[in-house]
Amino acid sequence: MNPLTIIWNFLSNTYHRLGSPREFYTISLYTTPVFGFLFLVLSLFGTYFGLFVAPADYQQGDSFRILFVHVPVAWMSLFVYVVMATAGAIGLIWRMKMAFVVTICSAPIGAAFTALALLTGSIWGKPIWGTYWVWDARLTSELILLFLYFGIMAVYYAFEERKTAEKATALLSVVGVVIVPIIHYSVEWWSSLHQGPTVFAEGGPKMPPEMLLPLAFMAIGFMFFYGYALFLSMQARVLDNERKSRWVKEIVSGKTN
Amino acid sequence: MKNTLALYFQREWQLMFRNTSSMIQPLVFFIIIALLFPFSLPAEGALLQKIGGGVIWVSAVLATMLSLESMFHSDYQDGTLEQMLIHPRSLPLAMLGKALAHWTSTGLVLTLFSPILCITFNIPNEQIWVLFSGLLLGTPSLSLIGAIGAALTVTLRRGGVLIAIVILPLYIPILIFGAGMLSQSSQGLEVASQLYALAAILMLSLTLTPFAIAGALRVTIN
Repeated sequence: MNPLTIIWNFLSNTYHRLGSPREFYTISLYTTPVFGFLFLVLSLFGTYFGLFVAPADYQQGDSFRILFVHVPVAWMSLFVYVVMATAGAIGLIWRMKMAFVVTICSAPIGAAFTALALLTGSIWGKPIWGTYWVWDARLTSELILLFLYFGIMAVYYAFEERKTAEKATALLSVVGVVIVPIIHYSVEWWSSLHQGPTVFAEGGPKMPPEMLLPLAFMAIGFMFFYGYALFLSMQARVLDNERKSRWVKEIVSGKTN
Repeated sequence: MKNTLALYFQREWQLMFRNTSSMIQPLVFFIIIALLFPFSLPAEGALLQKIGGGVIWVSAVLATMLSLESMFHSDYQDGTLEQMLIHPRSLPLAMLGKALAHWTSTGLVLTLFSPILCITFNIPNEQIWVLFSGLLLGTPSLSLIGAIGAALTVTLRRGGVLIAIVILPLYIPILIFGAGMLSQSSQGLEVASQLYALAAILMLSLTLTPFAIAGALRVTIN
């Protein structure tokens, strides 16, 4: 058989299996600890390299080292939104149960990443810009993103019926996608105090490899953290959503496993 | 048979003229909010002149938002909205008509009244035109985007606060461009780029939001 066909079959098979809450629950029992372990290893490496191996910045000294948390967390705040909205669109178009669960469980994680990006940014801003906060395009649009996450969470909890709540949340997250490019390009469109793109800049990264490497470790590590947190919270929600079905009753009462 | 857009637009207009308070309330609210600022700030002419444009924009956003809750409410209560949903006419076009009619009763009225507020804030004449054109291009988007939030929350008993939480983040880009125009023109700079941005947002809202409003109604009303 054509190797591409094999890969395609495997992917579509996995996709369809993940569409069923029970299959997801069984698979996630194995993948979640792996994600957690990878996050731990990568972020420990990243922290060590970032704090002890990477050289101090020639302008900012040691205070730049918060970058290894700030930048990945800020990337994640947008990445989680894109995942959340994509899952919402999949749920609305193909009526896939699990896609809604991804959307709803992503919102608090994304909000946490956004809040952390704002917090670490203002801690970094104090020694470098001399102020915790400026009303500048990048900071303001990141703050909008935080409130968008809050709005999405508020919509979910406002409805009594779960199916309606899921669809309404998915719809709002799809509508809010317009904010993501605004945040992403805000540093290029408006003249801003926030520095421009340094890693994905034209003509390659403007950063030495000793700094780039821990940043990559941290970024991939946080990606796994998202997977870990998402799967944990999805497991809980799946059990809650399907509480009337037999397999959940068996798991909760401890008859299997 | 008339086309759906015109039909719904006309229907909303008839309803509005039979109950004119729905038109007057947002305008009164708009004026009151704007006039709260001079009371709460030091009475310096230069300061008020500087912030006047931003104050008028914020008041317009809040007044539009306050009027959103009633947009679908009475239609939902008397069952008209359900009839619209099962009717074979295009729902997005119907919603476009409804949102545009909402704009004529709120955003357009506020925009037409805004020069008078500008005079009370001592805003110079050439800037009144900047504010006026910005509001004219920006407020229709406020009604169209706001209608999504109104449609999402129509079945909830206390949807008002939720509309604010959901919709205000989406309003901020419009507010930034609209109010940014004024601070640019007060420094003697060109404002064309902001006008283009507002026009682009309006075009996107006109073409995309009707589908989102229709989708939201189909989600929330079973």
